[in-house]
Amino acid sequence: MGLSLKILQIREFLEETLKILFYYKGRVIFSLSGVALGILSICVIITTIDGANKKAYEIFEALGPDSIMIFGGSERQRMARERVATLTYKDAESIEKINGIYDITKAYSVRGLTLRYKDRKWQTNVIGSTENYFESYKWNLYMGTVFRKNDEINAEPVCVIGYKVYDELFRGEDAIGKTIQIGKLPAKVIGVLEERGGAAGGPNIDDRVVMPLSTVTTKLSNEKRYLGVLRVKTSRDVDSTIEDIKRVLRKNHGIVGDQDDFTIRSSRDILQFMSVISGSLFLFLGTASVVALVVSGFVLANLFYLTIQERKKDIGIRRAYGASRRGILISFLFESILITFLGGIIGIILSVLLQGIFEKLFDIPMEFSFKVVIFALLFSCLTGTVSGFKPALKASRIEPIEAIRG
Amino acid sequence: MIRLKGIKKSYFIGERELPILKGIDLTIESGELVILMGVSGSGKTTLMNIIGLLDKQTQGEYFFMEKNVDGLDDENLAVLRNEHIGFVFQQFFLLPYLNALENVLIPIVYSKKNIKHPKEKAKQLLTRFGLADRMHNKPSQLSGGEQQRVAIARALINDPDLILADEPTGALDSKTGNEIMELFRMLNEEGKTIIVVTHDPKLAQFGKRLLRIEDGVISQDTTN
Repeated sequence: MGLSLKILQIREFLEETLKILFYYKGRVIFSLSGVALGILSICVIITTIDGANKKAYEIFEALGPDSIMIFGGSERQRMARERVATLTYKDAESIEKINGIYDITKAYSVRGLTLRYKDRKWQTNVIGSTENYFESYKWNLYMGTVFRKNDEINAEPVCVIGYKVYDELFRGEDAIGKTIQIGKLPAKVIGVLEERGGAAGGPNIDDRVVMPLSTVTTKLSNEKRYLGVLRVKTSRDVDSTIEDIKRVLRKNHGIVGDQDDFTIRSSRDILQFMSVISGSLFLFLGTASVVALVVSGFVLANLFYLTIQERKKDIGIRRAYGASRRGILISFLFESILITFLGGIIGIILSVLLQGIFEKLFDIPMEFSFKVVIFALLFSCLTGTVSGFKPALKASRIEPIEAIRG
Repeated sequence: MIRLKGIKKSYFIGERELPILKGIDLTIESGELVILMGVSGSGKTTLMNIIGLLDKQTQGEYFFMEKNVDGLDDENLAVLRNEHIGFVFQQFFLLPYLNALENVLIPIVYSKKNIKHPKEKAKQLLTRFGLADRMHNKPSQLSGGEQQRVAIARALINDPDLILADEPTGALDSKTGNEIMELFRMLNEEGKTIIVVTHDPKLAQFGKRLLRIEDGVISQDTTN
């Protein structure tokens, strides 16, 4: 047969190979599931990493490449999730004067407040901020409007709610002008933010309420001195601006040396953080799935060896009836590739199913692409070729008379 | 059709030479029905394998269809086997995962010949051999005689010039065996060249020509 296979023969060849696989289904299922698992994990890794990267870029885009965040508390304290108030309004004023800074967003948030609307309840964090908050985050409105400078000056009890909060309290109804209870404070909903979607494994960024800073610091808490977060944008180089901010804050806080009681992050840190995470994900899960594929390749090769012993007569007959060595080699190799190919397809289907579940349950965004399918199929065929080659070679070397007499 | 000149075949066990065929000169013409008889170890199967292009002689020349085939490589021998020779074996050797019809079609998969409507042809052959209602049965669901008839249909699907049968009745009871031999006689009358290799003296009556092989040489060659 060689390479001069006619189209009709290719179909028959495929049908026949499928019949062989069905006949030896026990061992085929074994190899198939191994390959499927390996491919499944590869798909999950790639889609998760792609999804996370996409998310990170979205955040990066939303924050703007020129934005810098300043938090109260040292790096160590932040790691321990301690919230330490060290940033003051005076700090904000000093920072605002730094050359190149053109936008500053002050924020102070109160955590875990209970919201009530009719008989519905929802617990979330309330962020008090300045009116440029929305512009600065490039966050558009789903409905309504944002608060203005006047609301800030008068500490008006108005709020803009995140999409998640809207969904929980209003379930699609019109929310504008309605009054909700925030802790003990009745507040009018004036806007609903557009849905942004959850970040990989982190808190849902749509789950928030934004109010004028003064309203939060006078009516929801009593915090006249400290701020939680400052976000600034610079028209200068980000690194040198950060150095300036550090200098100013150290001076204000009377810090000598580098025992800073504040933490500075730029949007580049987020990207860096994401790439570290996806790097380690890739390393761990990638190793695991390669091991899974290699093991299933070994299983496939060994089961194949066994089959060849059993199928010696089969080979002998085919040789007697006109199959050349190359023909036998091709058909056995094809069989092995078909097994891993089918395994690959099953793995891809499973990963698509799993993707849906993951996104629903854990809010992990996954980016399923054509690239993944091609990569997975190539990888599965490669496994089939590598593990099937030696057994197929062995099969092709069986002499017909030896096989028939056997 | 077949011309053997001074064919010798030895197997080597370590350094020791074990001669199986010790110089065979033989000519078989188109349309013959030959019974090749010999006891086990006489060299009859080795001779059949050489004639069937499954094995190569150590010495001598072999002309198959007027062509010297001694220098041909595996690929070319495979093509010759596929196009010109149909094999029938003692143990039938049907593939267990294919049904009767699909088993008959095996040689087609490897064929470069342009057989028209192979499926129809396979059905005709099976019907002719009384297996019309067994076509979609797997070998395990067929009796020995039925399996051997499927095997003969398989040997015929590619319109071969020569049919080589190695102990075709060996696994069958004598009545079924006789039916199979009758089938060969019928095919021969239609013009097929047939060589039946056997140790069973009772089969001699079915052939036109009887060849006896003893200890690696032809000891008897008689034509009825």
